[in-house]
Amino acid sequence: MTTLLGWLAGLGLVAGLVMGFGVAPREVTQGNVQRIMYLHVPAVWVAYLAFTVGSAASIAYLAGRRAGADRLAHAACEVGTVFLGVNIATGAIWGKPTWGTWWTWDARLTSVAVVFVMFLAYLLLRGAIEDRERGARYGAVLSIVAALNIPLVHFSVYWWRTLHQPPSLLKPGSSTMPRVILTALLVNFAAQALLGAYFVARRARLLAAEEEALA
Amino acid sequence: MPDNWGFVAAAYGLAAVVFGAYWRRLARREREIAAVRTDREAVRNDRASRSQQPSKAGHPRPEPASRPPLQP
Repeated sequence: MTTLLGWLAGLGLVAGLVMGFGVAPREVTQGNVQRIMYLHVPAVWVAYLAFTVGSAASIAYLAGRRAGADRLAHAACEVGTVFLGVNIATGAIWGKPTWGTWWTWDARLTSVAVVFVMFLAYLLLRGAIEDRERGARYGAVLSIVAALNIPLVHFSVYWWRTLHQPPSLLKPGSSTMPRVILTALLVNFAAQALLGAYFVARRARLLAAEEEALA
Repeated sequence: MPDNWGFVAAAYGLAAVVFGAYWRRLARREREIAAVRTDREAVRNDRASRSQQPSKAGHPRPEPASRPPLQP
């Protein structure tokens, strides 16, 4: 199952590249640098998805104390952090030619940096506590608190005046995005979601093997 | 606005490096865990084979033929 997910993710990434570079047109205002969007935006959606799965699994762990739920939470939060790191880095690379700066402390960028640091703290916490049960319990609480910040990140562009543009898709009403650009974005999202699912499945299996080998 | 292909290449290249590094990290950790399992399995098998040998009472002594001759 995991291997199949890996192959599907690989094929999806190839399809995403074809859509992003071969099918989607050059954007009129920004030029070809806008193609970073097909990487930057799906990465944050996958990160949101992974953190949502991670915090739901953390709640399940706190309710039932099942090791499987903790492994899923740990794997999903780790993979979400990788995708959020890619999102922040590609956003900085996109920001330099379009905004004239790599980074600015506006509401969207600051709030997403806070979430990133909180999930880095989660990973450090999981690595620092040797007692598995205690690490799982503290980690579950931290991942739930960190995931509560995700709506703050999403709505920060409405609540405060920011340099970052408002969402083009995850907003009330229909999208104003041209259909071909929207299709390319969704294909890339599907590809990255498959890659994220593959990483989570493999990491959760590895965590189970680690516990078994080190028991 | 200029196309800034260098920035596009940097973004996609960085993402490829990050995802590739994470994939390699998972693969390396899987190999390490497999090696630990193999070692543990070997130790367990060794102990099991030793426990099946008959136990010897007292201190084991070398066979007479292997004893060094007495020195005057």
